[in-house]
Order: sequence, then C-alpha cells, then structure tokens
Amino acid sequence: MGITTKALLKSLWVFHLSTGSCNNCDIEVLDCLTPRFDVERFGIKLVGSIRHADVLLVTGSCNRKSAERLVKLYKEAPQPCLVVAIGECSLSRGIFIPSYNCPRPLDKLVPVSAYIPGCPPKPEAIISGIVKLIQKVKGK
Amino acid sequence: MIKRKEVLADLQTRFKKEITDIFDKSPHRVYIDIPPSALVPMSRYIFQDLGARFNIASGVDTRSHIEILYHFTIEDINLLISLRVRLNRQKPVIASLTTVCEAANWIEREIHELLGVDFTGHPDLRRLLLSDQWPDKVYPLRRDYKEWDKGAVRDRGVK
Repeated sequence: MGITTKALLKSLWVFHLSTGSCNNCDIEVLDCLTPRFDVERFGIKLVGSIRHADVLLVTGSCNRKSAERLVKLYKEAPQPCLVVAIGECSLSRGIFIPSYNCPRPLDKLVPVSAYIPGCPPKPEAIISGIVKLIQKVKGK
Repeated sequence: MIKRKEVLADLQTRFKKEITDIFDKSPHRVYIDIPPSALVPMSRYIFQDLGARFNIASGVDTRSHIEILYHFTIEDINLLISLRVRLNRQKPVIASLTTVCEAANWIEREIHELLGVDFTGHPDLRRLLLSDQWPDKVYPLRRDYKEWDKGAVRDRGVK
C-alpha cells in the first residue's frame, strides 16, 4: 500500500451529492453522522466542496440536469476519487427506470467503487458498505 | 361569513351559461366543468371577489382531451373548487391566467413544456424544468410520447 492510498483511507472526507433523490437516503446518510452511529469517530466527515473530498457519495436517480453536474463534479474532484452509490435509485434508478428524465444510470456516467442497495439503506448498511470499500481499496 | 351552499348557488346563478357540469364530490371538494372561454372571467370572480387562494393547476392527458384543473381554495369555509377545462388534443390552446393572478405563471410554463398546452397572453413562456438538450415539440407527459434519446439505457444490466 502506497503512501497516497494510506493517506486516503486514514480519513475519508465525503462530499454528498443528491441527484434528484427523494431525500430519504440523504436522511440516512445524515443519520450516520449523528451521535448514535457517529462515523466521524473513524475520520469520515462531510465536506462542503468536492475539491476537499476523497469520496463522492451519490444518492438519487441522476436525471438529465443533475447528470451533467455530476460528471462535472467528478472531473473537479482530486484523484483518486471513490464514488459510492447509495440507494436503489443511484444503483439502477429503481422505479424511475422508464422515466423520460432518467436516461442513464450512475455507473454509465462515472466509475463507481461501491454500491449500497436499499430504499433507503440503513445506516448500518452504509457503514458496512464503507468498510467493504476501504478493504477493497486496501486490496484485502 | 359566506357559507358553502351560498358560494355554490352564487356561482351557479352567475355563470349559468358557462357551467356545463358540477360534481359535488365531498363537503370539502367540488369540481366545476367549464368551457375554455369561461376560464378567465370565472377564475377572476372566484379569486378576486370570493377571496379564494389559487393553489395550483394540474394537467392530464386523457385519451380524448387534454384536461387542465385549476384548483382554488376558499379557506374560511374549507372548500376546494377545481375548475376543469377540456382542450382539443390536436391544438390545445387556452387563455393564460396570469392576468388574474401572478402565481399561475410558473405552473403554466410547466404545463406548457410537459403537455404542450399553449397559453395565450402569457408574458414569458420559456422552458422551466426540462434540460436544455430536450428537443422542441416533444412533450413527455403526453400519452403518445415516444423515446427520442437513442443513448438511453432501460435495463438494469442483469440478465
């Protein structure tokens, strides 16, 4: 494991992007940060700008307008940037799959490192997904 | 204070010629069918004289017509009046409600881009919600909408 990977995984800074979700996944993401689960113990925290982030956390079904902005944000992110898809909508667009406004799923737009299914996923599932992501990047 | 019964009787006498049907659904809900020409005078009366609030308008493509419902609430008596107009599917045109109430502006823009209804007299009928790549004259909430985007992926990637 190189120095950059070690530094990356020591403390994941997360930028949270909603691409047209119903906000239920966003609430569960916030729930992870509240005292009950408190992922900040592990150095995971939300940041206000993509330029400070290691992880791009995406919720929602990537509609035509937000998909453009998502790709733009991914290009602005410092590499390596890990993309995590949260919830059924960002995995496969869920019930919005025939929608005129959701033509492409998230993983056709940017490379995705981890998928966390659920509608919405529980905070436990989100934490477990992040743990798996860290182990995957470490190469275990 | 004006009562529900009085409001309905008043509307029925005042707009006797225009009203084609009244559907009294529940104590809090009434649907009034009118021709498109009667929309502006009638909503002006409901909005300005009866002191109702303009909630929202909603458009539907039924198979025979394009239907727009204009919802007004009279809060004192807890009554929701929905004015229902039916427009020709081939050429849906109706007078804009922005002359009566400014709040109708954005919802008319939305109905215009999603259902293709033409609002005559609207000050600024630009696109509101759809993306810039969306082609002209393609209305996604019409029943005969066909997918135009060749790059769209409509499967979940599993066999």
